[in-house]
Amino acid sequence: MKNRLQLSLFLLPGLLLYVGLFVFPTLTGLFYSFTDWDGVSPSYAFVGLDNYKDSLSSIVFRKAFGNNVEFMLTVVIAQTFISLVLALLLVRNTKTKVVLRALYFLPAILSSVSVGLIWAFMYDPSIGLINYGLNEAGMSSMARNWIGDPKIAIFSIAAVQVWAHAGQMMIVFIAGLQGIPAELYEAARMDGGGKWQVFRTVTWPLLAPSATIVVAYTTIQSFKAFDLIFTMTDGGPNYATEILTTYIYHTAFGSYSFGLASAGSMIFLVLLALLTLLQFKALRADRVSY
Amino acid sequence: MKKTKKMLLPLVSMLLMSILLSACGGGNNAASGEGGSSGSGKVTISFMHWRGEDSEAFNKTIDAFEKENPNIHVEMQTLPSDQYQSTVQSKISDGSTGDVFASFPGAQFQAFSKAGLFTDLTGSSFLSNYNPKLIEAGQHDGKQYAVPYQLVYNDPIYNVKLFEKYGLTPPKDWEGFLALCQKLKDNGIIPIAFAGADIGPGQFMNTMVMNNAPSDDIFTKVEAGEAKLTDEFWVKTLTQIKELNDKGYFQQDALGTKDPAAGALFIQEKAAMLASGSYQLAQNKQQNPNLEQKLLAPITVSADQAKYEGVHTTTFMLAVNSKSKHPEEAKKFLEFLSKPDAAGAYANQTGQNVTVNDVKYDTPELQVAGEWANKKTVFQPRFTILNGDNQKAVTNSIQAVLSGTSPEEAAQQAQAIIDQHIGK
Repeated sequence: MKNRLQLSLFLLPGLLLYVGLFVFPTLTGLFYSFTDWDGVSPSYAFVGLDNYKDSLSSIVFRKAFGNNVEFMLTVVIAQTFISLVLALLLVRNTKTKVVLRALYFLPAILSSVSVGLIWAFMYDPSIGLINYGLNEAGMSSMARNWIGDPKIAIFSIAAVQVWAHAGQMMIVFIAGLQGIPAELYEAARMDGGGKWQVFRTVTWPLLAPSATIVVAYTTIQSFKAFDLIFTMTDGGPNYATEILTTYIYHTAFGSYSFGLASAGSMIFLVLLALLTLLQFKALRADRVSY
Repeated sequence: MKKTKKMLLPLVSMLLMSILLSACGGGNNAASGEGGSSGSGKVTISFMHWRGEDSEAFNKTIDAFEKENPNIHVEMQTLPSDQYQSTVQSKISDGSTGDVFASFPGAQFQAFSKAGLFTDLTGSSFLSNYNPKLIEAGQHDGKQYAVPYQLVYNDPIYNVKLFEKYGLTPPKDWEGFLALCQKLKDNGIIPIAFAGADIGPGQFMNTMVMNNAPSDDIFTKVEAGEAKLTDEFWVKTLTQIKELNDKGYFQQDALGTKDPAAGALFIQEKAAMLASGSYQLAQNKQQNPNLEQKLLAPITVSADQAKYEGVHTTTFMLAVNSKSKHPEEAKKFLEFLSKPDAAGAYANQTGQNVTVNDVKYDTPELQVAGEWANKKTVFQPRFTILNGDNQKAVTNSIQAVLSGTSPEEAAQQAQAIIDQHIGK
């Protein structure tokens, strides 16, 4: 009994942090989502579900949600593919693998604000490095107004997000690949399996747990992106890169509509929870044990 | 394990209950912080603002103030402007910090006024040091709640030597402005450097709309549902901005250009005009000492229809926190900042014009704005839009036309967003 009490006491600091930093703010947000509070005034009135109705019918909110989905799908597909390819290339015992792994991992340790500022500068259509490089390489036709063209701006930012995090996900895949017993590969090769066949029948199924982590983590991370978009475009041009988190920020601190922003946050929280649940259910089915 | 779970549940419930109860008990955030009086009778007041770049100048002002008032110590706290926008209210709301604080005009000033965060300064003797017209932005319900300290002319800057080289003078009407842009373009000069990705639309819209608008309070009417962005004044403004873009008078791909890149085009003398404001004059000069700069507003109508020559904004609105524990000391500091000597020292060190009268400006850049004091200018129209989302909808309609949407459609899209806010 004494032991259990001690154990509970050890849990207490973590629990306090969790309650203080997550549960309490969430409950406070839920409370304010039913009010017309402006974020400053000492008084507010209860408005029932009005903020929820207003959020769901808001043109900007809907546009932001669409952008969120577009951004998330692009990042998840590209990041999973690229990190897997990197992992497959760098899992082998080559002399340069340590250096290359460190290089690919490097962007993960940079602050996303710095990453956003640097890339926004590189994307600049007139003085940016990317268009300059393309022009110098004789590929002027590929030069674009990367974050100024509403049609491609969200994909340009998605590319930066992938650049910044693919290395991190590569490490997860490398760990998964290193966990696959060598005998399985030997057996597959002895059975006359080609490279693609071995990948399809041995590597990929056994990599499913890693893929689950990568896809789940990338989905959540890209769905709740903020820093990159905030620093690179602040949701522009003309809402082309506005996502739910920037919408919530602008509503709370640009328009002083804290109640409405809280309702937006609650809807966002529910969407995120649903997304996570769905994913784990879908990906769990792929698991293989050996 | 089961027992541990049983123990945890009441523990969590107790914690939640106590936190919730304490939150409810907190009510209106009753003052909790100490005012900062030390045993020696010296009072510490806090001065909070977002202009970190002015810290050095303010430190000198604070030193001078403390010499004159040995019993008051001023502690300065600066936050980056975007962070200031999102956190200042929580910091100043209990009076423990920000005895003197700055606020932005427009949405923030309105919200703070309604929340009662400002001390009423009406009737304070130091107000007579200011140009009365220029501190109107700090009034609400007929009371002076804050004093806008900085004066900005939000008119495009032009390169005087380049204009002279091609025999150009600031035009008096729209046709003249288009002809001027064409002449510059024909000579391989970018007529207007435009930061379309960030500050450009918000700055440039002011001079573009000032003479198109049927009244100075047109955006107030739009927000009240009494006028629409689809009305002639805004569609015409968008059409004219589109015309400038379509004729190639902005640099290529202007929508992807941010403020520093647009500034660079002007500083390197590749562009003859920069769509920003007087606040950038000193910085430009610092980076290219050969520059000779003046301000020019595009006149979007015929010369006889022009009501205004340009746009001004008064910002960096200094106020005394209504919850301050040392309101008298805070007022004393504000009074000191209002003296022409202190304001002049600040202006000359930071390169920013001020709203205080009788200030002697040292540099030609500051004197440029001084010339504009006698011209007919209107308060920045964008800041008369009080809701941030509405402001964004308006500036975004400019981005929409630059990306190919027709002015009518862009105006309609922006109006639809504003209609949703009016309905609330």
